[in-house]
Amino acid sequence: MLKFALRRLAGSVPLLLVISVLVFMLAKQMPGDGLGGGLNPGNKDPRYITEMREKLGYGDPLVIQYIRWLKDAATGHFGQSFLYKMPVGELIGQRLPATLLLTALSLLITYGSSLALGMIAGRNPGSRLDRLIRTAAYVTYAIPTFIAAIFAIYIFAVVLRWVPLGGTVSVVTSGGLSALGDRLVHALLPAAVLGLFNTAAYTLFLRTEIVENSGKNYVRTAVAKGISRSSVYNRHILRNSLIPLVTFLGMDIGALVGGSVVIENLFAYPGIGTLFTAAVSGRDYAVMMAVTLMTGFMIVAGNVVADVLYGWLDPRIRAGYNGGRS
Amino acid sequence: MMLKNAPASLIGDAAQKFAANRLAVISLLFLLAVLALCLLAPWLTAHDPAKIDLRGLNKGPSAEHWLGTDKGGRDIVSRLLFGGRTTLWISLCVSAIIAGTGTVVGVLAGYFGGSADSLLMRITDVILSFPFLIFIIVVKSIYPGGGIPSLIWTVGLLGWGGFARIIRAKTLAEKENEYMLAASALGAGTLRILTRHLLPGLLSVFITNLMWTAAAMIGVEASLSFLGFGVPIGQPSWGNMLADALSPEVIREQWWVWLPAGLLITGVILSINFIGEGVKEAFKVQEGRL
Repeated sequence: MLKFALRRLAGSVPLLLVISVLVFMLAKQMPGDGLGGGLNPGNKDPRYITEMREKLGYGDPLVIQYIRWLKDAATGHFGQSFLYKMPVGELIGQRLPATLLLTALSLLITYGSSLALGMIAGRNPGSRLDRLIRTAAYVTYAIPTFIAAIFAIYIFAVVLRWVPLGGTVSVVTSGGLSALGDRLVHALLPAAVLGLFNTAAYTLFLRTEIVENSGKNYVRTAVAKGISRSSVYNRHILRNSLIPLVTFLGMDIGALVGGSVVIENLFAYPGIGTLFTAAVSGRDYAVMMAVTLMTGFMIVAGNVVADVLYGWLDPRIRAGYNGGRS
Repeated sequence: MMLKNAPASLIGDAAQKFAANRLAVISLLFLLAVLALCLLAPWLTAHDPAKIDLRGLNKGPSAEHWLGTDKGGRDIVSRLLFGGRTTLWISLCVSAIIAGTGTVVGVLAGYFGGSADSLLMRITDVILSFPFLIFIIVVKSIYPGGGIPSLIWTVGLLGWGGFARIIRAKTLAEKENEYMLAASALGAGTLRILTRHLLPGLLSVFITNLMWTAAAMIGVEASLSFLGFGVPIGQPSWGNMLADALSPEVIREQWWVWLPAGLLITGVILSINFIGEGVKEAFKVQEGRL
């Protein structure tokens, strides 16, 4: 198992390198200084630009520049944010926990509710409850995340007045446990909306899996052995139905990070997503490229975790039978 | 001897099955109605979707303006119809680019295998390693301007990764069929095998994913326009209309500005999804029957 995990991890190194080269090349295309933020994009004086480029080592061969940039990036040095006047690494460090909380909470809500709903629908296919859940899931599946967010803000902020309008995060002044609770409460609505699409998709997927698995031979065997209905569902069917769900994790992290850009902007949530859009409009290229690189790495990491989990749950994957996947 | 009700053809048979699916047919009719209304917009509405009318700002629904006006005094109904043209056109073009590129890459990788496969799939991996929206925004900020065509190409060329993977997987599965081997043994050329034997097998997966892509791209246009990286602000699109909901007064008091666009987008995506499901079902039944 450990060998499998290490092999999978090592296999992702070339991909990470290619991603870093791509980000480096994109950064070089940027009008300012996408690598270190050392150039003031507002200053168009050619003398200033030549001088700074010389000082920043932009006359060196590309390969040297790339290696220097990669070395810095590996140690967390992404240069200086032009907009916030602080090191990019530090800036990201400040914003990252909020986004991690948002995505983790969103995953938790997604898995919790889709598991419950999928089980209820899958155990009673064709029932009124099943039809209700499926219809609701189909409709939510069709609503783009940010329209769902607008609906949610309208319902919870305008009609019900549960949360304040235009900014669901109060300024945290005190530290400690109450501050953590405060953050959690304020992340709840954005996280639920962020996970809505996945919740609907998982519910439908899980329902189909459970219905299909209920007809399999091992289920008939278990029932024939006299195991109770609920035990067959919880221990036999659910376990097998959950395995394919794990492979979605890698894709989800990408979708969640991308979705959080929209959600954080709508809910005025101070995370990586709002940092990114502010950097784009403020032409803070160093921040933009650092966020792009980081999200790319997060997705690759998510895929590795998903594959290792899959291999752990399903021995056939570990043994090299990969069903046509590569 | 003639068999009664013998399957006429792959597509004809599936069409028959599709026609029996009430939800899918209703969805198709709804989608066609929306398309027709948007295409006929210049003849259906007397209001210019972009003309600012300072005497009629933020007016509620009335006989003159069925769904009121927005912050520029522009008629909402007219903006919905003209905005639909923009949004649906973008979705259509982007889906065509994604489906085209994805199919070519997927078939080449899956059918020929070997080093072509590894190269193409590594490129796909890289493309899929960036969050879609962030990737588009970065590229758009390096190469700004270009209006809608540039938006279409950027989204299309960065978005084919998932499509290619699905087509590749289906190609690998289809390749296992014995008739493929037989065709090759009988001396059929590669091109003939691909077009006559492989592509029909990919049809159902292709259509289902095309539908899914078209639906998703409506959401992508809306998200990008909402963030300010999509359709230029002056031009009506469903995403630009929803961007107005960012203002607190609009979301608190002027439901007619954002709700119709939100419901229309949801309705269109839902109907496209149901049509996709209908197509999948229509082909599935057929595949299982001999």
